[in-house]
Amino acid sequence: MREAYIVGAGQSAYGAFPNESYRSLFATAYEEAMDSAGGVDPEDVDEAVIGSLGVGGRQLGLSGPAVTEHVGLHGVPSSRIENACAASGYAVRQAVQAVKSGMADVAIAGGYEVMTDMSGDVAKYWLGVSGETEWERLTGTTFSGVYAQMASAYLDAYDATPDHFSKVAVKNHANGAKNPKAHLGFECSLEDAQNAPVVADPLNLYHCCPTSDGAAAVIVASEDVASSCDDAVRVAGVGAASERVGLFQRESYTSIESTARAAESAYEMAGLGPDDVDFAEVHDCFAIAELLAYEDLGFCERGGAATLIDDGVTELDGDLPVNPSGGLKSKGHPIGATGAGQVVEAFKQLTGHADDRQVSGATVGLTHNVGGSGGAAVVHVLEGGVL
Amino acid sequence: MNEIAGVGAYVPRLYLPADAYREAWGKSGAAGVERVAIPDADEDTLTMAVEAGWRALAAADVDPLEVEHLAFATTTPPADEEESTVRLASLLGIPKAVSTRQYGGGTSAGAAALAATLDTTGPALVVVSESPEGTPESDEGAGAGAGAVALVLDEDGPLVVDGVGEFGDPYPGTRFRRRGHSETESIGITQYERDAYTSAIGGAVDVLGTTVSDVDAVALTSPDGKLPYRAARTLGVSTAQIASGTVVSQTGDTGAAGPFLGLASALEDGASSVLLVGYGGGAGATALSLSADGDVPTRLALDGDTELSYAEALRRRGTITGEEPEGGGAYVSVPTWRQTIPQRHRLVAGRCRDCEMLSFPPEGACAACGSLGGYEAISLAGEGTVEAATRIGQGGAPPEFVEQQQRSGSFAVAVVAFDGPEGDETVSIPAQVVQSPVGTPTIGDRVEAVPRRIYEQEGVVRYGFKVIPTAAER
Repeated sequence: MREAYIVGAGQSAYGAFPNESYRSLFATAYEEAMDSAGGVDPEDVDEAVIGSLGVGGRQLGLSGPAVTEHVGLHGVPSSRIENACAASGYAVRQAVQAVKSGMADVAIAGGYEVMTDMSGDVAKYWLGVSGETEWERLTGTTFSGVYAQMASAYLDAYDATPDHFSKVAVKNHANGAKNPKAHLGFECSLEDAQNAPVVADPLNLYHCCPTSDGAAAVIVASEDVASSCDDAVRVAGVGAASERVGLFQRESYTSIESTARAAESAYEMAGLGPDDVDFAEVHDCFAIAELLAYEDLGFCERGGAATLIDDGVTELDGDLPVNPSGGLKSKGHPIGATGAGQVVEAFKQLTGHADDRQVSGATVGLTHNVGGSGGAAVVHVLEGGVL
Repeated sequence: MNEIAGVGAYVPRLYLPADAYREAWGKSGAAGVERVAIPDADEDTLTMAVEAGWRALAAADVDPLEVEHLAFATTTPPADEEESTVRLASLLGIPKAVSTRQYGGGTSAGAAALAATLDTTGPALVVVSESPEGTPESDEGAGAGAGAVALVLDEDGPLVVDGVGEFGDPYPGTRFRRRGHSETESIGITQYERDAYTSAIGGAVDVLGTTVSDVDAVALTSPDGKLPYRAARTLGVSTAQIASGTVVSQTGDTGAAGPFLGLASALEDGASSVLLVGYGGGAGATALSLSADGDVPTRLALDGDTELSYAEALRRRGTITGEEPEGGGAYVSVPTWRQTIPQRHRLVAGRCRDCEMLSFPPEGACAACGSLGGYEAISLAGEGTVEAATRIGQGGAPPEFVEQQQRSGSFAVAVVAFDGPEGDETVSIPAQVVQSPVGTPTIGDRVEAVPRRIYEQEGVVRYGFKVIPTAAER
């Protein structure tokens, strides 16, 4: 198969935007992506894949064409991919497949979600829709509850405390404060994070990401196209895997097997390993999820995540910065946009456009996007400075 | 068949002291009632019936699969119209082809059910369960309690029903519920009601035709804590005999279940002869004389242990709370729910036909070996160990549980490794942890499955199981 490159990437700000729509948010992301991809014109686009969970209903059917026609990509084959919070991570993978297979020279992968324009009561109906519905949900559990159960098992199994969850929040907010597009772009102290109201014991409010409005788009192109673009980041490795949707159906509650499998595939395709990664954007929907990601992505051994965060390894100036964008915790989590948004950050980092939060000397970046509590995961290993 | 092989009883563990009512309303409330039992937000007549039913079967050492007749008496079924006995049988694990009867109409229904069941072949299970309501300011509301009793009738048992007497005489307005209403009321003419009560009970005992003056206990339907004693002179018994068969002061008005709770309590105290009379407003009564030859096996959960404030009691009853919010998103249809009834009602897991590992629910590819070869049905005993746990606060629950949270607050949820039948094998199942009186369980705690309302949607109550820490089970 031939190589695929990210040649442009953009995103809207993440936050709560009562004066925006899913179309206008996507248009913002699309325009920034096209602007960053000098050398690609709209008429060059062969394929579009759009991730969205469809929170709130909205344009639940034909959500792909609804946004691509809106931005003028008239006639381009466009479809929606749904894999809960991993929707647009999978959309990026689809676009990479389209380019690698030769069916497309230029493919757009994007995603959007609008989550803040409904009452709390209506939102309740949508937040749990990616959990295992018939058994897990009907014990009265939504995602905070499922991740809290994983956290309870993790604290029971390893020498970790809720303070480690709080340290994840402090780190990600420190990074997000440097990101003008972050939803919660402010710093928080360890005391703030430790003393926040309990959401689902042992997780408190600062151990949970917000729900956000936002959109992201990346442009994937063949080597021929990429060589004429301003910037190009090689998609060195792609990996994806599924897992049983309900936590109770899994072998382990302290590891997300789909992440481990996806990472293994992505590393193998890239011919690289965790030691080669300069920074990572990981799926920290809850602080426990970031700690599990450290272990499942091979950044440390099982049970070693607490030491990694204690030692500052994953801070912006550490050996392996994780979530320089602020992550889902601070940058925000517009479900369908999140996976593509991680690739946007990786593109900026690898092309030297990450401004105040630039990871110095970054050449290999990893993105990690999870659907639900682990029912789907997708990992990309991206390499800058190749072309 | 007139012999009783086992007795089970269940009174909710939540209770409201009469003082709390008096303080809230500035009046005395129901006469002679010291506390009333309050069903939790996820309990109702049917779940209490299951709690009493399995206890009776366990006491009598009768397998639910052996039961040939099920009689269910209640004036407060979960729905005005629906075959409640069918779900009761399913929740208890009683086979589909047994004959079932439901008795209602008045609070003599329990005694009527027992009298009618004497003519069936056994083993038979008679369950009487009640959770009456009244408007908060009324004596009926002040005194409303809750409870359930079940009796196993068999060819051979230590407690024998020696005779039955029935009597009726019209006394309209004495205890009734209007069509479509949930609150019991009466027109409130004191002497008229006493006359109705004593004449109906006295009439039934006359028809019974046996000497009752020397029984160890007299168990009468007890709308409050004074009326039963009004019948002493008519029956020619002492107030001490009535006190031995009366629990209304500790449970509140439990309607048709009242005399049976009195019977259960008397048996626990060693009574060997009991006069039981079910009285129904309107008025009619069914009297039964019972005598015991030796110890009667019982399994009783009669005592409450969790006190509520008046506001908490109103919340638990749903008097001052809202309903499920409108919305969209995830939804489990009733037909889809029905497909899982063996799992919801009886914890039926599956053993993989290829690798013999347990799966729950027993469908799809085997989690252990991936086989699509199907499963052998395995009923779990309902005991397990907590593997992961958290607590869902207000606002954190799916909409199906919003009303429950309004009524009873935050709740714990756990992943439980339920014990399989062989050695140390387990199968993991998520479950909500019942509210009271315990907090969030910790990993490693032992828990047991209990029948509960899971949620109500489209007017249809979905029954299933939750878990209670074994240390808190009564």
